[in-house]
Amino acid sequence: MSHLFDSHGAAGSGWSQPEPLLPESRISLPANLIRRKMPQWPRISESEVVRHFTWLSTRNFGIDTGFYPLGSCTMKHNPRVNETIADISGIAEIHPMQPEHHIQGMMAIFSEMQKMLSICAGMDEVTLQPVAGAQGEFAAMRCIQEYHRANGDEMRDKVIVPDSAHGTNPASAVMAGYQIVEIPSGPGGFLDLEVLRSVVGDDTAAMMITNPNTLGIFEPEITEAAEIVHAAGGQMYYDGANFNAILGKANPGLMGFDAVHYNLHKTFAQPHGGGGPGSGPIGVKSHLAEFLPGPIVKRRPLVEGDITEASDEWWFSWYEPKNSIGKVHQWHGNAGAVIRSWAFYRRYGRTLKQMSEHAVLNSNYLRHRIHQLASEAGIGSMIVDGSSAKFVKHEFTLSLSPLKEATGISALDIAKGLLDQGYMAPTIYFPLVVPECMMVEPTETESIETLDKFAENFVKVLQESPEVLHAAPVSTPVGRVDEVHAARNLTLRHPME
Amino acid sequence: MTDQLPNLGREAEMLSAMNLNSIDELFADVPLEVRYKGELPLPEPQSEEELLRDAKRLLGANRPLSESISFLGAGLYRNYVPALVGQLIRRGEFLTAYTPYQPEVSQGMLQAMWEFQTLTSELCGLPVANMSLYDGSTAAAEALTCAVRVHNRKATQKDVVYVSELISPAKRSVIFNYTQGGGIEVRTLKHTSDGLLDLSSLSLAKGACGVYVEQPNPLGLLDGGLTQIKQIIGENTALIVGVQPTSLGVVEAPGNYGADIVVGEGQVFGTPMTAGGPLYGIFTCTEKYLRQMPGRIVGRTIDNKGAEAYCLTLSTREQHIRRHRATSNICTNETLIALMGAMHMSLLGPDGLNRLALRNMASCQLTKQKIAELTSVAIPHIHGHHYNEFVVELPGSAADCLSYLDTKGIIGGFDLSGWYPERKNWLLITATDQNTSAEVELLVAHLAAWSSAKIQGLSA
Ligand SMILES: Cc1ncc(COP(=O)(O)O)c(C=O)c1O
Repeated sequence: MSHLFDSHGAAGSGWSQPEPLLPESRISLPANLIRRKMPQWPRISESEVVRHFTWLSTRNFGIDTGFYPLGSCTMKHNPRVNETIADISGIAEIHPMQPEHHIQGMMAIFSEMQKMLSICAGMDEVTLQPVAGAQGEFAAMRCIQEYHRANGDEMRDKVIVPDSAHGTNPASAVMAGYQIVEIPSGPGGFLDLEVLRSVVGDDTAAMMITNPNTLGIFEPEITEAAEIVHAAGGQMYYDGANFNAILGKANPGLMGFDAVHYNLHKTFAQPHGGGGPGSGPIGVKSHLAEFLPGPIVKRRPLVEGDITEASDEWWFSWYEPKNSIGKVHQWHGNAGAVIRSWAFYRRYGRTLKQMSEHAVLNSNYLRHRIHQLASEAGIGSMIVDGSSAKFVKHEFTLSLSPLKEATGISALDIAKGLLDQGYMAPTIYFPLVVPECMMVEPTETESIETLDKFAENFVKVLQESPEVLHAAPVSTPVGRVDEVHAARNLTLRHPME
Repeated sequence: MTDQLPNLGREAEMLSAMNLNSIDELFADVPLEVRYKGELPLPEPQSEEELLRDAKRLLGANRPLSESISFLGAGLYRNYVPALVGQLIRRGEFLTAYTPYQPEVSQGMLQAMWEFQTLTSELCGLPVANMSLYDGSTAAAEALTCAVRVHNRKATQKDVVYVSELISPAKRSVIFNYTQGGGIEVRTLKHTSDGLLDLSSLSLAKGACGVYVEQPNPLGLLDGGLTQIKQIIGENTALIVGVQPTSLGVVEAPGNYGADIVVGEGQVFGTPMTAGGPLYGIFTCTEKYLRQMPGRIVGRTIDNKGAEAYCLTLSTREQHIRRHRATSNICTNETLIALMGAMHMSLLGPDGLNRLALRNMASCQLTKQKIAELTSVAIPHIHGHHYNEFVVELPGSAADCLSYLDTKGIIGGFDLSGWYPERKNWLLITATDQNTSAEVELLVAHLAAWSSAKIQGLSA
């Protein structure tokens, strides 16, 4: 083990730096604010810091280490040049409040991203401000709320969410001040229009839904659903976490959505880094545009006197929508993630739909291989599809209920068994509507060989004995971690003497 | 894009395994009327080389602060990030991981986050820290909603919180958006003409759920009066202090003067400004707030053989379990940036932190001393103690002055009329550890030239 705080107390004066511009005796500080006891940070040299964090990294699994089929999270390879680009001082060392003429190049990229995103989702206006999917949801719920208020529709206080929705959907709507109406999925995991009809009314503010839904299946009756919600006076919100399945193939604008968020870190590129950062721009139809959080980049043709090296045609400026909800983040959003996503999209350009096609191709192929190998091994009935749909989109769900009933082996056990095979486990126990759920999303950046090998190993793990699987994993840096112990004996930081 | 899609050109092989002829069959369930018609009207695909050329041209057209003379701050500060951070963070095991849902293969990230929690907990003087929120403004906003959840039952001013009137409109707006849904009313706390919190007005906040103030405050002032707040407002009102984290290398940790929650913009540790994001919000608190706090938290535990291990804990507060009853909607957070912060903090150590804080303070106070020698401008809070920034009152508008300085290649600061519309002549000048004395001299010389010309123009 290597512990950062073991080294605490050694000699040394820390990271060497230039002298302050004034001697300490000439710096003034209120007497009652002088720090009495410095934080007990470690005192270590650069080499020790490097070694400690490098050691930690060897105890962590990433896409670079192996296949990472974590459903709903879109763990695809992000081109490495994006990191080189994000390090350029023209983005890294920019202050968000610099005058416009200092940042025309960055604003050109923002403008191009706003345009690209609105084209892809069939929206009229895009803001890049929200910094994650959940924050996009929240910002959009606020826009919808202000829209209803402006129309004298304050009584619309309910947001409809399918039971298969991601947890952020209801949580975001509640933060905006809404009550949640959760509706059960119909047969096959699809939206049930009858149920929807029965819950809409003059208290409906919006419906939030992702398409393909969290079972990885396309909602064929989505336009009918939108008609039902619209007829009741509600707005349709598209959770874009699964947009990577249909980009360039289907258009949320045509499906009847009024607002969408994009998970740039999923559909486009921003390495997920152990939990973030992300970026969650939102796009809206024109009737909601005046409420968007700003600033948004607008452009006009160059005129005499404009000096810019960013464009031969355009001058870019910031714009605050007229009745903006204001801000959800202090500055302009996660600009660094926006730049990486710009770099990602530019490499595909007009062929971007290949990304979705291959995500869907890989997902269906893997699903097919798993079923094929499982039935060859005589255990085909141990796993059932989460949905009866013939084809899935970018991800698919499996229920391990039959396996559990027959052998006592749970989805969690299989997940741990997969870790022993050198894989990150798929998402488990989500969506909640599929019992003993495993949600598999291979992404477009995995080869046939990787998929074949995973299918083989997956079926192998399904055939392991309960004893082996209950004890798994055994080849990982630590054995099965006791999460109950963690919650009962809270140790949330290094104890100091 | 051939170099990113391993199965490009092998589609037929895969399709035939599934008894299919075309990829479009996989999209057969998408109704015709919602399909994207035609090709996306986007540019030609680019190779890595072509892309990089475009990126360099566009980003090269920007003017980075690292290549400018800048006195702009106002909430986000130019810093120096040790080379090690940018290099270590690119280890793919960190960069390309996601939320450590499978702790057995995520020990590295989990332990690093637990260490981050320890570092920020020590820094702020409070026992509990989470893995990060989106930025300093959302950390402040979520601290307020957390305070309401904890205190509302006993509060005599139900659903009411108090916030310093000096807070920037952007942060105020974030706070409004995060609190309005819960029906929380945000009232303001006044300041005296010396820029410090008016302690006599604080008794108004008694019985409310929380109070949010900043140290240093948005005018750059260190306010000794904040140490008395907790005594005034009492146990049942949360004291929330927003900090500039480097300042805690010289300034007392708010946890040591009664703060219940300390938040801040973590960016100064670990990451350059990046046009405002990704940053990370620091969130630390006392145990009382633990079960109502937003965001992810790592605990130390054991594995099935009793060996030391780490995992996410107290997840029942979070959206993926608690859904509409969650303490926050945050899912994707800023872990990687927080990890960069942890690396930077580890390198600094307590002595390096102290030096860094002194440098920030010295740069600011040197600039202030030099400007105080000018007769053509005034410093409204001249007797205050400043960290990073201070206000200069000009003989003309700050906007004018900044345009003039810009023609001299200097980013002179922040025009405070952007925050306080009636303060047309207030310029917020920021100096960090990255400013040199030569830069300060240059700023002072040009400020002197502009302001005396302005005064002559006014009297002529
Ligand atoms: C379906 C779905 N919706 C919403 C979100 C929330 O996005 P984020 O994590 O970026 O906040 C996620 C991702 O975690 C998701 O998978």
